[in-house]
Order: sequence, then C-alpha cells, then structure tokens
Amino acid sequence: MRKSRLFVVFSLSVLLAGILAAGAFAAEKVFTIAYNEEPQTSDMQMTTSCYMIPMNVYDRLIECVTTAPGKSALVPGLATKWEVSKDGKVYTFYLRKGVKFHNGEELTARDVVYTFDRMLDPKTKALNTDILDFVLGAKDRMEGKAASTAGLKALDRYTVQITLEKPFVPFLAIMASPQASILNEKFTKPLGNKYGLTAQATCGTGPFILKEWVLNDHHTMVANPNYFRGRPQIDKFVVKIVTDPETMRMLFESGEIDLFDCDFAMSQIPYFTAHPKWGKQTVSGPRVGIYYYTFNQAIKPFDNVKVRKAFQMAVDRKLILQKMFYNHGQLENGVMPKGLIHYNPNQEKIEYNPEKAKQLLAEAGYPNGVDMEIALVASTGSQWQKMSEIVQAMVAKAGFRVTLKQMDEAAFYATRKEGKLPMYTNKWSADFNDPDNFFYTFFGPKGTVARSYNNISPEVFAALEKGRSETDFAKRGKLYADLEKKIVIDQAAWLPMFSLKHIYVVQPRVKKFVVPWNGWSDFPIYETRVE
Amino acid sequence: MEMKDRKEQELSYPCLATETFTEEETVAPPSSFLRDVVTAYRRNRLAMAGAVIVLILFLVAIFVPWLTPYDPYAIDLEVMTEPPSWAHWLGTDQFGRDLLTRILYGTRISLVIGIVPTLLSMIIGTTLGLIGGYYGGKTDMIIMRLCDIVLAFPSLLLAMVVMYTLGATLVNIFIALAAVGWAGTARVVRSQVLSLKEKEFVEAARAVGVKNRVIMVRHILPNCLPALIVLFTLGIPGAILSEASLSFLGVGAQPPTPSWGLIVTSGKEYLFSAPWVAISPGLFILVTVLAFNFMGDGFRDALDPYMKQ
Amino acid sequence: MLKFILKRLLISIPILIGVTVIIFFLLNVVPGDPVALMMKEHISVDVVARVRAQMHLDDPAIVRYFRFLGGALRGDLGESYKLNRPVTSLILGAFPNTFILALCAALFAWIVGIPAGILSAVKKYSLPDNLFMGFSLLGVSMPVFWSALLFQYVFAVKLRWLPVAGFEGWKYVIMPAIVLGWSSAGIIARLTRSSLLEVMRNDYIRTARAKGLHELPVIFGHALKNSLLPVVTVMAIQVAGLLAGAVITESVFGIPGVGRIAVNAIQARDMPLLQGAVLFETTLVILGNLAADILYAFLDPRIKAA
Repeated sequence: MRKSRLFVVFSLSVLLAGILAAGAFAAEKVFTIAYNEEPQTSDMQMTTSCYMIPMNVYDRLIECVTTAPGKSALVPGLATKWEVSKDGKVYTFYLRKGVKFHNGEELTARDVVYTFDRMLDPKTKALNTDILDFVLGAKDRMEGKAASTAGLKALDRYTVQITLEKPFVPFLAIMASPQASILNEKFTKPLGNKYGLTAQATCGTGPFILKEWVLNDHHTMVANPNYFRGRPQIDKFVVKIVTDPETMRMLFESGEIDLFDCDFAMSQIPYFTAHPKWGKQTVSGPRVGIYYYTFNQAIKPFDNVKVRKAFQMAVDRKLILQKMFYNHGQLENGVMPKGLIHYNPNQEKIEYNPEKAKQLLAEAGYPNGVDMEIALVASTGSQWQKMSEIVQAMVAKAGFRVTLKQMDEAAFYATRKEGKLPMYTNKWSADFNDPDNFFYTFFGPKGTVARSYNNISPEVFAALEKGRSETDFAKRGKLYADLEKKIVIDQAAWLPMFSLKHIYVVQPRVKKFVVPWNGWSDFPIYETRVE
Repeated sequence: MEMKDRKEQELSYPCLATETFTEEETVAPPSSFLRDVVTAYRRNRLAMAGAVIVLILFLVAIFVPWLTPYDPYAIDLEVMTEPPSWAHWLGTDQFGRDLLTRILYGTRISLVIGIVPTLLSMIIGTTLGLIGGYYGGKTDMIIMRLCDIVLAFPSLLLAMVVMYTLGATLVNIFIALAAVGWAGTARVVRSQVLSLKEKEFVEAARAVGVKNRVIMVRHILPNCLPALIVLFTLGIPGAILSEASLSFLGVGAQPPTPSWGLIVTSGKEYLFSAPWVAISPGLFILVTVLAFNFMGDGFRDALDPYMKQ
Repeated sequence: MLKFILKRLLISIPILIGVTVIIFFLLNVVPGDPVALMMKEHISVDVVARVRAQMHLDDPAIVRYFRFLGGALRGDLGESYKLNRPVTSLILGAFPNTFILALCAALFAWIVGIPAGILSAVKKYSLPDNLFMGFSLLGVSMPVFWSALLFQYVFAVKLRWLPVAGFEGWKYVIMPAIVLGWSSAGIIARLTRSSLLEVMRNDYIRTARAKGLHELPVIFGHALKNSLLPVVTVMAIQVAGLLAGAVITESVFGIPGVGRIAVNAIQARDMPLLQGAVLFETTLVILGNLAADILYAFLDPRIKAA
C-alpha cells in the first residue's frame, strides 16, 4: 500500500516535472537580432561603440529611461538616491541593498569605486576615460602618478562619494551612460585584461547573463532569474553578427531574426511601410541626433567663411530629406537636435539659394567655381555615399566641383584625427541628454582638430567651458543658444542637415519594442516581450 | 627537368594544360597558321557566339553616346527606382538615372578594366618570364621566388591591400590587378622559353652571334604568342570579376563611375523593392565574362596544333 | 622523396617571409590608426595617444616588423589589436568553418566539372558539350556576391528551403558551397577536358581504337584513368585556393571563417591578426602545392620509374 502510494506520488511528480519542463521548453521566449559588427569585448570600458551587451548585462548607478518617444528621464538604478553638494563638486550615491552580481556577490560601494578606478588605471588601457576626466585625481591616476583615484571614495558598504575637480553639470547624465556600468571587483580583478573577452569572463548585475559567445558568429544572453527589478520576460537574447546588410535584410524577411534596423536600408522604408505584412510592423522613434556635413578650415577653399556659407546655401536639404529619407524627420539649423535639453526651435534657418551661393563663391574669389573633396568611408551603397552623391550633383549648380573620395575606415579615422580630412558627413546621437555632448564634442579645442573642423575660436572655447559649469538652467540655455548661432550662422563652421526618426521593422510576435530615446542602435531589451 | 616544368605550368595555369606549345609545329608559316586557327575556331559554336558578343560590346562601347538619349550621370530625384518602361527600358536606379544608359556606358569601363590590367600583367609577366627563362641562374631564381610569393598570396587580399595603399581610383585598379596577375604569365612564359631555347633555330641564331635581346624578341617571343593569346583572352574575364569583387569590398571604382561592379553593389539594397537595379548589371557581367571565357576556350582549342587533324 | 619534401619546405620559408614583408610595409604606407578606428566617433586624442604608446604602435615600422618576426619564429603570433585575443587561437577557431566550406565547395566543383569535362572531350562541339561546358563556365562568370545574393533570395527567402546565413549545421553549408564551388567548376571542367583529349591522342588509345573497341570502353577503361591524373593533383591546390578565396562567400553568408578575419584585419589595420591570417593562408597554399606534387609523383608511373 505504502509502496504503491509512493509509486503514485513518484510517477505523478515525474509527470508534473515533465509537463513543466516541456512547457518551459516549448515556451522559451527567444529574441534574435542581427548586429553588423563584432563587439569584441563585453567590457564597456574597452569599447566606444558596441553597447548592446553592456546595456543588457550591466546596470548603472543611474539609468536613463525612455519615457516617451524621444523623451528620457534619469531614474534610480543601482543607486536609490543621490545628492549633489551646493558647489556642484561632491556627488554622493546611496546604493540599493541586496543587489546580486551574476556570480552571486552582493554589490557594494567598493565595487563602484573599483570600477571607476579601474577605468582610470593606465594598465586597463580603457578607451572611455573621458567620462571621468573631471574626477579629482583622475589625471594623476591615468598618468600613473597615483595608485588610486583621490576623488573616488566608499564612505560605507552602501555609500559612494565622487568628488570632482570643478563643477561639471552633465556628470549625472554621464553616470547613466553605458560606459559607466558597474563591475564586480572580486570577479573582475583577477582577470586583468582578459575581462570581457569571453562569456565566462563577464559578470554584471543586469537583467541578462552573457551565456555563450562565438566570435564573428553570435552571442547569447539568458534571463537573470535574480534580477533586482524582476526576471525579464525574454528567456534568451541572441545577437547574430552579420556584416552584410542585404544578408541581414534577408534574414529578417525569412523570419530568422526578429528585428530589422532600417538604418541599414534607408531606401527600403517605403517598401516596408507599404508592405501588406510589414506595414503594420514598423516601430519608430525620434532620434536625438543630427546629420551633418563638416567644413575643414585648414583645407582650401573652406578657410573662407563665404565659401562655407555658400556651401550651406547650395545644399537643398529639404529635397534630400524628402527624397532620401521620405520626410521621416525634420531639418535642423543648429548644433542641438530636437529632443535635447536646451533645444532652440527658433534658431535662425539656413536657406537654400544656389544663386546666392554662386554669388558668395564669386565674392570669395572663385567666380568660375571651385574644386573640393568629400571623403567617404569605403562601403559601397551606404546612406552616406548616396547622400553625398546627391549633394555632389546639387552643389554643382552653385559652382562646387566635388570629387568623392572613398577611403578605408582606418585611413579615414587616422586622417581625421590629424585634422586633415576633407569634408565628410556623419550623424551624432546623444550619449547623454546634455548640449555639452554635442558642442564640446565638435567644437571643443581638441575635438575641432580631431574631427577635422579646425574652427579655432577662443571665444567658442571659453563659452564651452562656461557652459560646463553653469548651474543656472536658464542662463545655460541662453548661453548655448547664442553659441549655436555663432557657430552655425556667423562662423558657418558646419552644415547641420536634419534629425531623423529611427525606424525598425519587427516580426509580429515581438511586442513592446521600445526605440531608445536617443535613437541608438544599441538598446536594453528588458521591457520587450515576444510571444 | 622537362617533365617538372610542364607540370608546373599545368598546375599554375590549368587552362593551358596541353602539350600544345612545347612542340615544333608552332614554328609554322604565318599565313597557313592563321588560316588554320580561324578554321578551327569557327568550328566551335560557343566560341563564335562569344566572339560575336564581344564584338557587339566593343561597338556599344564606341557608339554608346549615339545609342541613348540619357546622360549616365544626370541625377533626377523625381524618377527614382522606377520599373522598366518605354522611356527607361531597364528602369531607373536609386538616383533616377536611366539604368540601361549607365550599363551601356559601363561597357567602356568594363572593357578597359578587363583589357588594361590584363595587358599590363602580360607585359610584366612576359618580360620577367623571358628574362628568367633565358638567362637562368640567379636572375631566374629571384624572379621565380617573386612569382611564388605572389601566387601563394590570397590574390583578393593582395589586391585589396594594394588598393588601400594607392587609393581607390581607376588607374590604381589597373595596378592592383596587374600586381596580382603577372606571376601566372611569367611562369608559363618561362617554361616555354626553357624548352624553346634548346631548339635548333635558337642555337643557330646564337652561333651566328645574334644578340640575346634580339633572340628573345625575334625568335622566342613569337613562339610564345599562342599561349599568350589564350592567357590574355582568359585573363580579361578574371579582371572584370576582380573589379566587381573590389567594388563589393568598397575599394573598386568610385561613384558615380558607371562600373558594372559598382552598379550591382550599390543596387543590392533594392533587391526586394526594385530588383532590376541589382539584377540587370549582374547579367551584363555574366554575359560578358562568359563570352570572353568561350572565346578563350575557342582560341585554346584552335591554337592547339594537335587538333589539326 | 623525403629530401624533395624537405627542400620544398625550406624554399617556402623565404616565400612566407616575403609575403609578410609585402603586407606589412604596404599597409604601413597608408594612413591608418587601429586605435583611432577603435574609438571612431568617440575619438579622444589623449586616449589615442596613451593607448598607442602602451601598444608600442609609435615605434618605427622596421622595429615593429622585427618584433613580429621574432615572435613568429618562436611560434608566437602575438595578440590582435582589435580583439585582444591571441592570434593563433582566433585563426584556429575560425579554420574549421573555412575548411568545411572549402571542402564542400571543391566536392561540388568536381561533381559538376569532371563530368562536364569528360562529355566535352568525348562529344566535342555537340549540344551536350555546349550545355555542360556552358553550365560549368557559368559559375566562373558571375561575381560571387551577386550569385550569392540571388541564391539567398530564391532558395532562402522565396522558397524557404535553406537558411539565409550562419553556420550552424549541414543545411547552412549547402548554398555557400555551391556558390563557391560553382565558381571553380569551370576550371576543373577545362582541365579534365584537355587532359582527356591529350591522353586520347596517345598511341595506346589509338591502338585500342584501331582494334575496333567501342568508344565508351576505350574512354572509361583506358583514357579516363590516366587523364584524371592532373585533375587529381589540381584538387589539392584547389582546396587550398578555395580556403584562401572564400573571403566574399564567408562575408555574404555570415560564416565566421579565416577569410573574413583577414578582411576585417586589413580594414582595422590589425597587423598581428592580418599577418597571422596571411601566413596561415599562404602556408595552406604552399602545402596544397606540395601535396599536389607528391600526389603527382605517387600516381604517375613515369615519374616513379625515373
């Protein structure tokens, strides 16, 4: 009797376990995407561009969440609250208690101090030290003159204090960027430079655990059951590395991936929106980012402000926006795109006027037109190449004879770093929601050379410094609005084009895919669901 | 020695793997030689078709401005990627340019890209092959080692590196493809020279004091000609395809040049929405390359004296 | 025989060094900064300067080359700049994929090429000859990326018979192997054909024919056996060539192979990785040639007797 009851219990439990296992197996929710570049490392201190892993495997002290399309807010992350001293130099973060890393260790203030100190440690060879430039003692640490960073302190097990050398308003926003993700000291330290090179050598607190990583092929993240906000809805997140955009497209059309980023095929937006199946499946969000053309003032004829103004007027930006990007965006006339704090909708417009451009060019001493180059990263069929081919044809009317110069990526960036790259085009999306991220990047004393503008303007440099420490919101807004006019209208130091929506197409089974507020191609998928 | 050389030639250039050119018969009176070749060639239907296509391509390349009313460079954003119609037989491309016009102008580019680098590599290869084979010794050794290096190299990588080094322009494509292509020719020519220089007529010339250079150019080179013709014809399609590959990798012809490789590559994006942009230039590449291949095979057969029965 | 092999291997050392010298110094002429490239849009001149110094990238080219050569001679190919991993493990990790692809491609080339060649030699200028020769030459006449694109479109997207890209099982090998193999089927066909024609001109075949034997037994009994000799030897070279030539196929079909590593390394100016990949591929080609010669000597009775 007892035996048989035991047997019944046993067989029932086996059955139950079987059903549960089968159920769990059948319902495994997998979200698969393709990414065009091998991220190389999961260590966010060692990369400046591939943040898909960091955004899903790690957390930050503060998180920048997308509250509505193109809107963001700073919310508590690993820190539940924070204080900034009156002088704007001392930041105190109070950590959430009981947060566990993937290796089971509890997050403490020591981990935070370790993470940032590691970034500044010259042995790390980190690429993202810029975000900590303002921390007290950062320079000494980077130059190897100090064994620790003076401005980083663990006050107790759950309190971190960061002291800056001088006030730096964007600091909180920066703390929410993926570069500022938090590592576990005990796990990371012994690995040294091997940290982040394999799935096994990666450990964060985030919603996903990096499980498998085959270089140049794919990497897989699985749900972290102990995530402090609750287990994510997706069980498995697979990122396939596919370099060829058409292959990516076909993977999507044949249902092998769940998401297609239209940035890889801008021309196909009308196809997707008109398609019976995909038409309903497009998801879009504004991009807090700006498309632009540069002027290199160290290369003739763009040393002359009249020539720069002429070029600004020679490009029919509206037509490009309409024909190439199907009006999925708006023209920009400044440095700050729509969606950024202190964005100024009343910035003076740049007009399209080829006749006037021709006249300006003549005044500048080029009555018969002038030869110039536009540099492109060699990758045939890219949106940059297409746009530049159109621009090439457009500006010809005003007398600019453009040669498109394709360069391979390494040569392009090396030449640009020297300040010797001719005109080029690119886009910039906000890393953090602050005008400094745009102004200082392009027109700061180092950026203006390293990005081949060579707009050497002491007034601009001084205003930029002032903007970084101006704590009065209204004054800061005015400062950037004035600066914007000076740079774009008076100096004509660049040609802003437009800000575009970021459009994705998703498979019908994907729900709640949120386009990140800044329009990045890297995003957290914690909120996303699949059926 | 003889054995090994022939083998080397076969292995490096499988398309030439016959005993054709090492035999005495190649020194035949030119008039009958030519007649025989033409007769033999005409028996091969594929080769004839190839020749006709190539002829048409040349005519198109010459007369293209009269064949089409459109400008291959004029951008018209109002008619982007329109499907084939009476006005645009193959439709328009992503910039509203008439696709057929661009492809027809592209025959010029493709023929030039096929012929010039091949010719260049033939000249370099023949010269080095002649010198190496004729003088032998250290000179030969150095030339052959250089050949080995180039042949052992993955050729697309080498061409890519050369393009990076020189920058992506049409002229540099010639240089890059010639830099990769000369070694094969050099090997074939060298092995021919090795067998020819022992022949009586060469010995005789040397005995009466004819200069080495003259012997090479007057006596040995003409006997290499059949092999060179075949290598040349079969080298052209290779060069056209290589340029397409380089364009795919972004280091080929520069936009807005209407090179076929470039048109295909930049049209790939439209495979779903405007397939004609990606498919038709590819078909032109296919037909052209095929035509040259047929011609090359035809020449090889026709020039093979053993086939004269 | 052993002496011959040893000699050949010795000769290949200068070839390998030559290859690395060419690559290294050619790419040194071009501007290109692996660190600036790693940072791309987030460039910071200070960081670039510091990291470059730490990676010894500012040393003169010749110093860097000999550092590489010294390491290579000790069997250490160094670490990739970009991927921070040992070059040897990166290449060996990618090699099996490339190898499988090349082998399957070669198989396809033989399956198409050899029959086409035979038919073409036996029934010269006939309709089947034209058809088969045309078909095998078709592959040589298409840009690989174009045929790959059409294959993917038709067989993966439209018909859904095969996966578009990736490398996770036998299904994934079929399309890339056909695309790559087709591109060399024409070469095999030509070789088979000319080799067979050559053999058939020989006296013993003429004798066999004269004896009144039928055409087919003559071909399959006598001629084919001998004529396949050069074809077999070319196979070894061809597999090596396909290994090195799979760059575009790998990239279009998303196969993590050696060719893609090499192209990425050129683009990233990742010299250690590029040198490693090129050394590896060149070695394969050299070994393939050597294998062909050995095979030739082994199979050809005339050489054995000598």
